[in-house]
This record gives sequence, C-alpha cells and structure tokens, in this order.
Amino acid sequence: MRKNTLLFLIAGIILLLLFPVFLPRFYVYLLSIILLYGLLATSLNIVLGYGGIFQFHHAVFYGVGAYGTALMLTKTAMPAILAFIVGPLVASALGFILGIICIRLSKLYFGMLQISLGSLVWAIVYRWYSFTGGDDGIHGIPIPEMLSSYIGAYYYTLIITAVCIFLIFKIINSPFGSALQGIRDNPVRSEMIGINVKRHQILALTIAGFFAGVAGSLFVVVDNTVFPDMLFWTLSLEILIMCLLGGWFSFMGPMLGAGVIVALRTFVSTYTVYWALVLGVLMIFVIFFLPNGILGYFEERFKKVFMGSEIKE
Amino acid sequence: MLEVVGISKSFDGFKAVNNAHLSVEKGEIVAVIGPNGAGKTTLFNLITGIIKPDSGRVLFNNEDITGLPPYKICRKHISRSFQIVNVFQRLTVFENVQISILSREKKTWNLFSPSKSFVVKETETILENVGLINKKERITAFLSHGDRKVLEIAMALGGSPEFLILDEPTAGMAPEETSHCIELIKTLSKTMGLTILFCEHDMEIVFRIANRIMVMVRGSTVIQGSCNEVRCNEAVQNAYLGGSDVCLM
Amino acid sequence: MIPPGILSQIFVGLSRTTILFIVASGLSLILGVLRIPNVAHGSLYMIGAFTAFTVTKIFGEGQAAFWMALIIAPLFVALISLIAERGMFQFLYEREHLMLLLLTFAFSLVFGDLVKLVWGGEYKSVPVPAIFQGFVPLFGGLPFPIYNIFLLVAGPVVAVLLWLLTNKTKIGKIARAAAVDREMVGAVGINVSWVFAIVFVIGCLLAGLGGVLVAPTVSVTLGMDHNLIIEAFLIVIMGGLGNIWGAMLGALIFGITQSLGILVWPQFGIVFPYLAVVVVLLFRPTGLLKSTW
Repeated sequence: MRKNTLLFLIAGIILLLLFPVFLPRFYVYLLSIILLYGLLATSLNIVLGYGGIFQFHHAVFYGVGAYGTALMLTKTAMPAILAFIVGPLVASALGFILGIICIRLSKLYFGMLQISLGSLVWAIVYRWYSFTGGDDGIHGIPIPEMLSSYIGAYYYTLIITAVCIFLIFKIINSPFGSALQGIRDNPVRSEMIGINVKRHQILALTIAGFFAGVAGSLFVVVDNTVFPDMLFWTLSLEILIMCLLGGWFSFMGPMLGAGVIVALRTFVSTYTVYWALVLGVLMIFVIFFLPNGILGYFEERFKKVFMGSEIKE
Repeated sequence: MLEVVGISKSFDGFKAVNNAHLSVEKGEIVAVIGPNGAGKTTLFNLITGIIKPDSGRVLFNNEDITGLPPYKICRKHISRSFQIVNVFQRLTVFENVQISILSREKKTWNLFSPSKSFVVKETETILENVGLINKKERITAFLSHGDRKVLEIAMALGGSPEFLILDEPTAGMAPEETSHCIELIKTLSKTMGLTILFCEHDMEIVFRIANRIMVMVRGSTVIQGSCNEVRCNEAVQNAYLGGSDVCLM
Repeated sequence: MIPPGILSQIFVGLSRTTILFIVASGLSLILGVLRIPNVAHGSLYMIGAFTAFTVTKIFGEGQAAFWMALIIAPLFVALISLIAERGMFQFLYEREHLMLLLLTFAFSLVFGDLVKLVWGGEYKSVPVPAIFQGFVPLFGGLPFPIYNIFLLVAGPVVAVLLWLLTNKTKIGKIARAAAVDREMVGAVGINVSWVFAIVFVIGCLLAGLGGVLVAPTVSVTLGMDHNLIIEAFLIVIMGGLGNIWGAMLGALIFGITQSLGILVWPQFGIVFPYLAVVVVLLFRPTGLLKSTW
C-alpha cells in the first residue's frame, strides 16, 4: 500500500477512535449506524461490484443476522458472544443455500427467485408474532454491559467493522477475488481457463451473506431492536443505492455511499418530512450524471489525466 | 491426440453441425476452413464443452471428454481462444493472464493472500513470449483489437496447455499484427511443442502454417487432408476456393 | 362439495386479486416490451386511488362521481407517466436493467412523497358507488358484496381488452415485435420510441385503474404502494414476464392460496401465496407461461 494511503488510513482511524470524546451522544450513535451500513453495503459489493451478480434482496441476510442475534439474546440464556457469532453464521448459511438454489439460473431469474425467497422469509417473520414479535419486532434486547452504553456500542461497532472491512479487502485482493472479478467480466472465459464458475459464486454469496449478518448483529448492539422492515425489499434497494452512489467499482465506494445517505437522511429529516423525495431526486441525478458513483466520477477524471499521458506513447 | 467422431448439434431444428469428423495428431497444426456459417465455431464449442452435442464423441488422448464442462476440459490441458474477443475488460493485461495461471494452479480458492505476489515470473514470461510485456499494466478495455486477440492467446497459454484451439486468431487484425500472430503460432508449435487446431478465413495463412486442413461445409466434414489434397479436391474447389485451378499436383 | 362458506371466502379473495391482476398486467406489459422493472407502478396505483378520492369529493358523493373517477384517475396517471417517460425514461433504454430498476425506484420515492405532500398523511376513504352497494345472496344464501362481483367481472374484461389490443391491433403487433427485436422494428421505419411511449402509458394507466377500483374496498393510505408492488412483481414473475395470461394465472394462484391459507391457518395466511411463488419458481424459473425475454 502506498505511503500516502497508509497515513490517510491511520489518521482516519485515530479520528474515529477519538470521536466519542468530543461529539455528543446522537452523533456517536449516527456514526455507529454509518459504520454498520457501510459494512452492509460493502458486503453487497462483494457480489455486486466484484462478482457481477445481481443481488436484489441483500437485506434478507442483514435481517436474518440481526434476528438471529436478537433471538438468541432474548430467548436463550446462552452467552452473548455466541449470539454475535450465530447470527452471522445463520446469515451465511442462508447465503449458501440461496446460492445453491439460485445460482444455476441466469442473472435475471436469479434475482427473481431471490426476491421471492426473501419475501417469503419476510412474510414468515412478519407473521410469527410469538417468536419474532411480528410487525412489532423485538425491543429492549439485553446487551452485555460493556457494550450497552452508546460509547461501548460505538467502539464495538468500530472495531468489528474495521476488522471486517480489512478481511473483505484481503479477500478482494486474493486469488479468489481475482477469479471473482474475472467471472464478473467474462464468465465464459473464466470457465474456459478452468474456473468452476458456479462454485466460486456460491462461495462469494456465502461470504457476502456472512458480513451482511455481521452488520445485522451490530445493529442489534447499537439499537437494541429488530423489526421486520430490516428484511423488506425497500432496504435492499437502499443498499443498492448506497453502492451505486459511492461507486460500485471501487472498494470504499459503498462505505462512502452509506455515509452520504445516512448523513443526508438525518440532516434532511430535521428540516422536512419529505426525505424520500430528496433521496429520489438525488438518485435520479446520480443515475443520469454519475453512473459510476461519486468515487467513480473522480476516478475517471483522475484517469483521463493519467491515461492521457500513457496513450500518447 | 484429438479425435472427433460423428458429432452433431441442432439448434431449434437447424443442424449447425452434422456428423462432422476431425482428427489431430500430436504436434500438428491443423486448420478448419469453410464458408461462413459452416459450423466451425460451433464445432469448437462442442469440443471445449461450452455446448453439448446431440450425438457423436470427442476423444482426447483416447479419453472420452464428450460433454464435459469447460472448466474440466481446461484441466485436461486443452486451452482455447475465442473468435469474438473474450477477455476481462476491467482488469489489466497482467491480471488477465495471471488469473489464467492461478486457475491452473488451483489457487483461486485462496482467500487471504495478496494475489499481487503470485506467479509474477510466469505471467511475465508468457507476456514476453506474446509480445505484450510493455503493456502489462494497461487496462484491457484500452487495448487495440489486435492486442486483445493476442491477449486471448496469452490467456490460453496460462493453462499450460498441450492442445491449443484458436478460433479465427487473426480476425480483424491489421497486416503487421497478422504476421506477428502467425510467427507466434509457429513458435508455439515449434519451440513449445503445442498441438494447434485453428480456424481461419485467410487462405494464405492457412496454407502457410497448417500441416493438414479439414474443410467444413454446412456443418459436415467434406475432407481432411494435406494442403495439396484439399487444394485439388474438386468439391472444395467449387464450394470454397472459387473453382479456380490452384492444384499443385 | 366445497362448503359455501369457503367458496364465498375464496371468491371475495379472488375479487381482490383481480385488482392485483389489473395492476400486474400493466407491470408485465412494461416489463415484457420495454424491459423496465417498473417499481413506480405501486406509486401510480396509489396515485390512482388518491385521485379517485379527490374526484369523488369534487363530484359530490353522487352516482356519477365514481364513474368520473374511473375515467379521470387512470387518465391522470397516464399523463404523469407520459411526462416521466418522455422526460426521462426514453433516454435510458440502453442502460442496464439494474439502472432502470433503481430509476423507477427513485420515482416511486418521489411519487410517494408527492402524494404525502398533496394529500397529507391521513386515511382517506372512497364510497362504494350506489348501484354496487349492498349484498346479494350467493353461495348457499350467504351475502356477497355486489361491488366484488363488479370486480370479478372487470378483471376478465380488462384481460380480454388487453389481449385484443396486443394481438389484434397494429400497435399491439408492433409492440410485440419490438419486445423481441427493437432494432429490427426501428430499421423498418417504425418510430419505436413512440411505440414504447404508448406501451408504457397503457401499462401505467392500468396501475391507475387498479387504484381506482380498489379505493372503495380499502382505506386509501400511504404505504399501499409498497405492499402492492412486491405482490404485483411476484405475480408477474410467477406468470412469465410479459405474459398477460400469465399474470392472470399468477393472480389466480395468488388469490386462491391466500384465501385458502387464511382459512386453514389464519395467522400465517399471507405466507401461503409467497410460498406458492417460490415453489413455482423452483420448478419453472422462467415462470408458468412463456415469457417474452
């Protein structure tokens, strides 16, 4: 990694570590939310931007991870640490199963089957009042003392998110990540150089499901609640928007997108109830003028300057 | 080495390949020629597992590989390049070839090591051999068409093949690029001992480098033989070579 | 024989799903010909319902009010969609489906909030038109709402009209050809752009029509768009993309499984149609009937 990037990163981390010291409670909470949504969006980008799979209902894994953790904390007497592990594991298992069922289909039909399976999961959770709390969700989930304060929750979220982002970064830059990107660009070619495309995609989906589940369990820590909307298709589209907004061909793009959306939503909501309108207009603008997202836009400008000199050779 | 016996494939009632035959001996360079739509690419797709035949068999080193999926065929050391350029557009030239080698080494399941450090020497060797070493950091989408076709071949080489299938390797290339490509094919055969099967429209190239030629018309094999046998075959002359007298016998 | 009580329930359920069918058929049309997954379809349905409310208020609660709404609201929705299509969508047909999906989602957000802006957040209600008020004894003497009979008739009527439109008119044939190969159609000199505009508008008009029809039977609220659109999409997917009869079949299956589900297991009644969709897709991933993709 280049020296500048490393310094930038270290400065950023120090800043993030110091935030609770001088920021009021609400902003710390907000930052926690941004971090976990960033992780969620980045997890989607594993299969979307780097894998070329149209994951239309990513929220399912997020919701399942959250509900898994919440249910373990409220319904069982098992230690909390298990709950934080089981949630993401269930989510990744679901990713694996969905992967096996859906991957044999081409892009569009994959998306459709996933939407229908995801909706089924939502419908079950929505109606199973006795177990999942139905449309009320579950509130006041008991969190271990160390993490229950807003500062504790923040640091926990920061650490877990940082570790996960680091892991995802490693995976993207590993031979598996290269193969995945090859599959994204040209699945036929990939098969022809010996890659078992379907198996790699299933693994990618499992990994993406796992990290989405982690994001879900983080939400439980930060907010102490879960609710069926976490599994609803509107959230899935919002996560897609975060990836698109930030730039889905870059690594930090989704995180940036998540930050922009959450911050904007909070900011706009203090002035007006019409946040959806603002988001809609913003999206239309981005789709028309910044098809590669914010980071993509800057990357292209940068490339034109950089490549221009190379093409002259 | 490769034997295709009575292979057929229909698409919605249209017989694209009709009882075709092909044989390639080890170390040979064999060309498949025929008018547009004769079924050459379909034949290649059948051999490499991209589509499954309705009937017939493909034997490689006496092993029946009919209908195996492409990634398994690749593991048998058969590699191929495509007629329509099929590369990884968003990745660099280096990465394109590197992935091919990583796949051969079954390293694509490695999740945590940085891929940058893998098989660098080997990737660069292949790039040097095909003449793309100076452009290794260029994103493939920005390469010229001719360079991309050469990259196709480079990627096929990444699998350390014994048998190389090239689908119209010089299609769309400028003259200098074409002669460079021909030299490359000759080198691959002579110095690397590869058995090569290719198809082309440019007759000059075919007669220059092929040991034997198979002629396909409307999905069937008309004849497979040496250059002269093919040139002097009346049916081929009428269907394909314009009926002129090019026979040297 | 099936007990009359159950039959009655099933048909009430079916009369509600005819509305789903009408909306889904419009969605299927747009998806099949233009290849746009129109997430805003639900919002247009909602706008249709709210517009019906306003129109009936303007014309007093009298007889004519509902019929005026039935004409005006869908046309209003059609107008909005025409503006959206000419103004924005027509420039993006070449883009990836994902982009179009997100664009229509953006529109659904905008429309949703515009509805909130114009009509406010409270429940609205639209009265059942006088001639359809009341019940008739059906199914072993059990009372069956007349309005629901109207709905049960309206559905097939719309289906037949649509079928005539797409199969028997020139425009319909052009649209179907364009669905398969838009370049070819353009190459023979037809203004594909306008064909697409017309198809889009008709599809959206159907959404508005659905909204008007549903208005007397439910409370007209914000959020009706979100619940509807996922069910409409599932029906379209289950029936086969772009296939009107598929949408009808899908709606039928959806309605029956839902009614039966509620009877058999009231708590999880709504889960059954979702389960049905999954089962169908597992065995026929492209949908029950032929799709145009």
